[in-house]
Amino acid sequence: MTATEIIVEAADATPPRSTRSVGAYLLIAPAIVWMTLFLVVPMAMIVYVSFWTQTTFKIEPKLTLDSWQTFFSSSTYISSLWTTVRIWLTVLAMTFLVGYPTALFVGLFVKNKTLQTTLLVLCVIPFWTSFLIRVLAWRPMLGKEGAINILLMKAGIIQQPIEALLFTDLSVVIGMTQIYVVFMVGPIAFMLGRIDPNILEAARDLGAGFWRILRKIIFPLSLPGVVVGAIFVSVMVLGEFATSAALSGRKVNLLGNIIVTQVGSLKWALASVVGVILTFIMGVVIAGLLRIVDLKKEL
Amino acid sequence: MRAHVAEGSVLRLEQLTKRFGDRAALDKISFSVNSGEYVSLLGPSGSGKTVLLRAIAGFEAPEEGRVSIVGEDVTRKPPHLRGIGFVFQNFALFPHLSVFDNVAFGLRNGGDKRTESDTRRRTLEMLDLVGLNGLETRGVHQISGGQKQRVALARTLVIKPKLVLLDEPLGALDANLRMRMRVELRRIRERLGIPFLHVTGSESEALAMGDRLIVLDRGAISQFGPPGEVYEHPANPNVAKFLNCYNVFDGSVQGDAFVTNHGPIPLARRVASSTPAYAVRYDRLTTRADAGAGLSAAYIASEYLGSAIMHFFETPDGKVVELEHHLSNGPPDAYEAGRTYRLSWRPEDGIAFV
Amino acid sequence: MESRLLKPILAVYVGLFLLFLYGPFIVLGILSFQQGPEGGPQFPIQEWSVFWYKHILGLAPPSRVSPLPIGISLTRSLTLAGMTMVTSTVLGVMAAQAFRRNFKGKSAAFYLIVLGMIVPGVLVGLGSALVATTTGLERHWYSTAFATHVVYTLPFAFLVMLAIFNRFDASVEEAAWSLGVPPATTFRKVTFPLIFPGVLSAMLFAFTLSYDEFSRTLFSSGREQTLPLAIYSTFAVEIHPNVFAFGVLTTLFSFALLTVYAILMTLSVRRAKRVAIQEAV
Repeated sequence: MTATEIIVEAADATPPRSTRSVGAYLLIAPAIVWMTLFLVVPMAMIVYVSFWTQTTFKIEPKLTLDSWQTFFSSSTYISSLWTTVRIWLTVLAMTFLVGYPTALFVGLFVKNKTLQTTLLVLCVIPFWTSFLIRVLAWRPMLGKEGAINILLMKAGIIQQPIEALLFTDLSVVIGMTQIYVVFMVGPIAFMLGRIDPNILEAARDLGAGFWRILRKIIFPLSLPGVVVGAIFVSVMVLGEFATSAALSGRKVNLLGNIIVTQVGSLKWALASVVGVILTFIMGVVIAGLLRIVDLKKEL
Repeated sequence: MRAHVAEGSVLRLEQLTKRFGDRAALDKISFSVNSGEYVSLLGPSGSGKTVLLRAIAGFEAPEEGRVSIVGEDVTRKPPHLRGIGFVFQNFALFPHLSVFDNVAFGLRNGGDKRTESDTRRRTLEMLDLVGLNGLETRGVHQISGGQKQRVALARTLVIKPKLVLLDEPLGALDANLRMRMRVELRRIRERLGIPFLHVTGSESEALAMGDRLIVLDRGAISQFGPPGEVYEHPANPNVAKFLNCYNVFDGSVQGDAFVTNHGPIPLARRVASSTPAYAVRYDRLTTRADAGAGLSAAYIASEYLGSAIMHFFETPDGKVVELEHHLSNGPPDAYEAGRTYRLSWRPEDGIAFV
Repeated sequence: MESRLLKPILAVYVGLFLLFLYGPFIVLGILSFQQGPEGGPQFPIQEWSVFWYKHILGLAPPSRVSPLPIGISLTRSLTLAGMTMVTSTVLGVMAAQAFRRNFKGKSAAFYLIVLGMIVPGVLVGLGSALVATTTGLERHWYSTAFATHVVYTLPFAFLVMLAIFNRFDASVEEAAWSLGVPPATTFRKVTFPLIFPGVLSAMLFAFTLSYDEFSRTLFSSGREQTLPLAIYSTFAVEIHPNVFAFGVLTTLFSFALLTVYAILMTLSVRRAKRVAIQEAV
C-alpha cells in the first residue's frame, strides 16, 4: 500500500544540500511544537497521573502506588490483560494467514499492472466507509438469524443456527481480521512485487519445487513486509475497544475497553495505569518486531 | 598583480574551500574572470567542477575563502542577490510555464519591478536573439532539446546577469546539435558581451569555446591559460591526460634520458612536476622513419575520424599507444594486426615532466 | 507444474478474500431496505422499503425509533475535518520542506512526527483528556479534539510530502533564485504549483482520517458529538436499520469526495497530459 512506499522513500530522502539550517528549524518548529504539546505532554501525563491518588470522582497529585496495586490485584483487570494479548496474537496470526496468499497473488502472480492496481484499490475501498459502520455490519452477518447462519442452513450444512458466531471471541477476531487484514496485505504485496522474477526463474531451473521456493526465497524476501504489516496490525489491535464493544456484547474486555469504562466513571488514575501498561506492551511488541529485520537496510 | 586583476575582473575567487565530510571537494581555489571573457573549465567527473560552479552561484556554502562579483564580496549572500545567471545541464525549465513565461519569469518576479509592456518587449527581443520566435505559447515539453537549451539561455540572459555560469550546457544534446550550439553560444555571448564561465567534461569543447581554459583536478586548479598554451604546454601529466591528445608514459629521469618500461627516451623539453612522466602528442608519432625517439608496439586497430585516423598500438606490457594520422598528410599507412612496429617522434616534440 | 495449478487456486482464493472484505457491506446494503419502523436489523426482509432512508433525512413519520443525531454532528465532523486538513497539510508541507536540508536532530524530529500515527488513539485521547482535566481546560471538538486529530493526520501529510519532495527536481528552484527571484516568491510561483498534486493527496488523507476518527475524539471532544461518536453511541442501545441506511449514505458520500479529488487531480495534471499528447502527434 502507499504507506509503505512512503516510508521506504522517507528512509533514503534528503540529498545533502545547503548546510544553512536556521530556515529548516523555523519550518520544522510548528510541527515539533504541536507534536510535543499534544502528543508527548499527554503521554507523559498518563505516566504521571497513574501515580496520583484517586478519590471517588477526583484525582489529586499525591503520589501513590494504589492504582497500580488495584490493577494487579484484580482478576478482572489481569484477565483483560491476557484477553488483549490473546486477541492480539490471534488476529495477528489470522491477518497473516488470510492475507499472505492474497499478497502472494497480487504481488507475485499478477503481472498486469492495471489488474494489480485494481485489486489493491478494491482492498482499500472499504476504508472509505466509516470504521464503526464496518464493525456494525458484522452483526447482521454473524447473528443467530444472520446471513451466515441462513446461508448455511439453506445449504443444509447445519440444522440449528450456530449461536457462537456473535458476541464471542470469535466474532471479535473475525471482525478485526476483516478490518485490519489489508494492512498486512499491502506491505507484503509491496515487498513481493519487488522480487526479481529472474531469481525465481533461476530457482525453478535448478529444479526447486514451489513450496521450497516459497519457503527459501519468497518468504525471506517478503519478511520486511510481514514485519511492517505486523506493526500496523499490532498497533491498531492493541489499542482497540470499539470492535470488541460492538461484536462481543461486552463479554470481551480488552485493555482499551477498561480505559473507556474507567474514564466513563472518572477513574482517571486507574485508566492511566492501564494506559501505561498498554504503552509498555506496544513498545515491547514494536521493538521485538523491529529486531526481526533491519527495516532501514531492507527497505 | 592582485590589484591589477581585481580591476577588470567580474568574478574573483580567493582560497575557496568546500568540504564534504573530511574530503575537500574544492581546495583553495583562486582565479578571476575578466569582463567580456569566455572561460571554460575542464575537469574529469569528480574533479569538483560542478561544486565550484554551485559555490559561485551560492547554492553551496564554502567553508573558507571569498567569492567577489565586480569587487563586491558575495560569499555570504543568497543566490538571488548575486546577479549571476546559471544554465543547468538538464535546463531546469519551469515545466508548468510556457516558453514565453519561462523567459519572462525573472523579469516578472525578480527584484526590480517593471511594467508588463517592458517585460514583453525585452522577452520578445531575447526570444528573437536566440531564434525562438513563434514558439512563445508552446509548453516547454513541446519543444526539442536544442530549443530547450535556447529557452534556458534566454531566460538567464534576459535579466542581464553580471556573469553567466554554464554547467555542461551541451551535455544533454546529441553530437550534431552540440556542434551547432557551440557556434550559437559564442555568437549570442558576443552580442551581449556578458562573461561566461562554462564547465565541461569535453576537452574539445573546452579548447574550442574558451578565451581562457581552466583545468581542474581533484578540487584544485592544475592549469589556467589560453587554450593554445594549455594544449601545447600542459603543466603536468594529468592535464596532458585530460586533454586526450597525449600519450603519457610513466618512468623516471636517468641522466639525459627518460627511462620507461618501453626503453629510454632522449630528453629535450623538461617541465617541472611533482610526478615524473613523459608525454607526446598522438599526431607527432610516425612509423615511417626513425625521428630520434621511440618505442616498439604491436598494432591493434584503427578508428576513422573523418579528417584523421587513429591507430592503436599496444606495448608488450599492455600500454595502449595512440597515433593520429591527419589525412591532409596523405593516405594512411596499412598495418598488420599483431605485428610490431617502431613508433617514433622527434625528441623535441616530447615533454618530460621531472 | 505446481505453480501452474497454483495460480488459478490463488485467484479463486482472492475472490473469496474480496467476498470476505465486502460481504458485510452487501448484507448491510440489503438490510438498509428493511421495512420500517417495525423491521429489525436482521433477516428476513419483511418488505422492501426506503423507510429508513426517509428516517435518516427526517422525512419519516415519528415512531418509537428516535432519529440519529446526524445533522449537527455531521456539520461538526465536516468542519473539524476541514480544520484538521488545512492545519496538518500546512504543517506537513513546512516540515517536509525543512527535511530537504540537513539539520541536527533530523532523525529525532522524524520519529517524533511519525509517532503521531503509531500511538493508539485511545492513549492519545486519554492523555489529552488528562491534560485538559488537570489544567481545567474545557474539552471541545474544535479545541482538544482538533489538536489530537492533527497529531494523527500530520504524520500522513508529512510522509506524503516527503515522498513528493524526494522526487522533486530542486534545480528548478535554483534556476528561479539565479534569476533574482527571492525564495518566498520561488516557493509560490515554482515549488507550490509543482508539488500541488502531492498537496491534494495529503489533504485527502488528512480529511478522510479526521472525518472518520473516533477513538481520539471519544475522550477529547467533550459533550458535543462528532458523527463517529453519534454512531458509537448507538452501539450501547438497540441498533436499527437506520444505521445501515446511514452507512450506505456515508459510503456514497465518501465516493463523492473521492470523485472531487479525482477531478481536481485530473485538472492539475491535464496540462501536462495535453502537452504530451500534442507532442506525440
